[in-house]
Amino acid sequence: MREGLLLILILIALTSLCDTVNQLFLKSAINSLNFTPTLDVVKIFKFISALLVKPRLWLGLVFSLVSLSIWLLVLSKVDLNFAFSADSMHYIFIALASKLILKEKFGSLRWVGTGLIVFGIVIVSLS
Amino acid sequence: MFKKKVTLKVFLLLIASDVLETVIQFFFKKSALTQSNFAVVNLATALGFLKAVFASPFLWAGLFTVAVVFIIWSLILSKIDLSVAVPIASFSYIFVPLVSIIFLGEKITILRWAGILFVLVGVVLVSLSSKERTVQVE
Repeated sequence: MREGLLLILILIALTSLCDTVNQLFLKSAINSLNFTPTLDVVKIFKFISALLVKPRLWLGLVFSLVSLSIWLLVLSKVDLNFAFSADSMHYIFIALASKLILKEKFGSLRWVGTGLIVFGIVIVSLS
Repeated sequence: MFKKKVTLKVFLLLIASDVLETVIQFFFKKSALTQSNFAVVNLATALGFLKAVFASPFLWAGLFTVAVVFIIWSLILSKIDLSVAVPIASFSYIFVPLVSIIFLGEKITILRWAGILFVLVGVVLVSLSSKERTVQVE
């Protein structure tokens, strides 16, 4: 397991980054639609259709595909629970990107929580 | 506009998306396991590896589930912040280890459980931070 661990962690960081970019594009596309949440299936279908014609969504999906490819490679080498736990470094990427790019507002409690998540990830990686 | 609050409906959608996320991980791991002896040393062998993995029905079952999760996740994101949705969708940290133990026969050490616990506590704090702000906003 320890052999090539650094490479595996780098690969997992790459999938997390690609995933974050994908989420940013998706969220930004959804924000631009001004969809009011409903349980009306027809309206949901229209919403998904409108979403699917957004170019930035497909840009995001390209990143998602790259992320998936690297992820499959990682999964063939290490335990699922190890890979999945280490992948949670995307919480930091998401928090940073949400704050800086999507301009979402949040305080120190969310950062402390994010810090604990990172700490948990380090423990999981060392065990 | 509408309130960016985590309602019961959003919460149920998050649980559904998370359970399905676990199903996806299970399918992907199953498909990747079929090629665990594949020696990936360069780009050509990496592509060969992917080709072999994409031939597995498990991978396609996983991809179908991805499409379902995409719809559910889009509905969630239409309602709440990205930096709230992602941390709350963390039930996977319970589901994935359980599935790994039961269906894949993987072993999890006490230290690793401790790490997962830290992640979960962090996630709870992150979720609380959003509630706090929602109350202030209202």
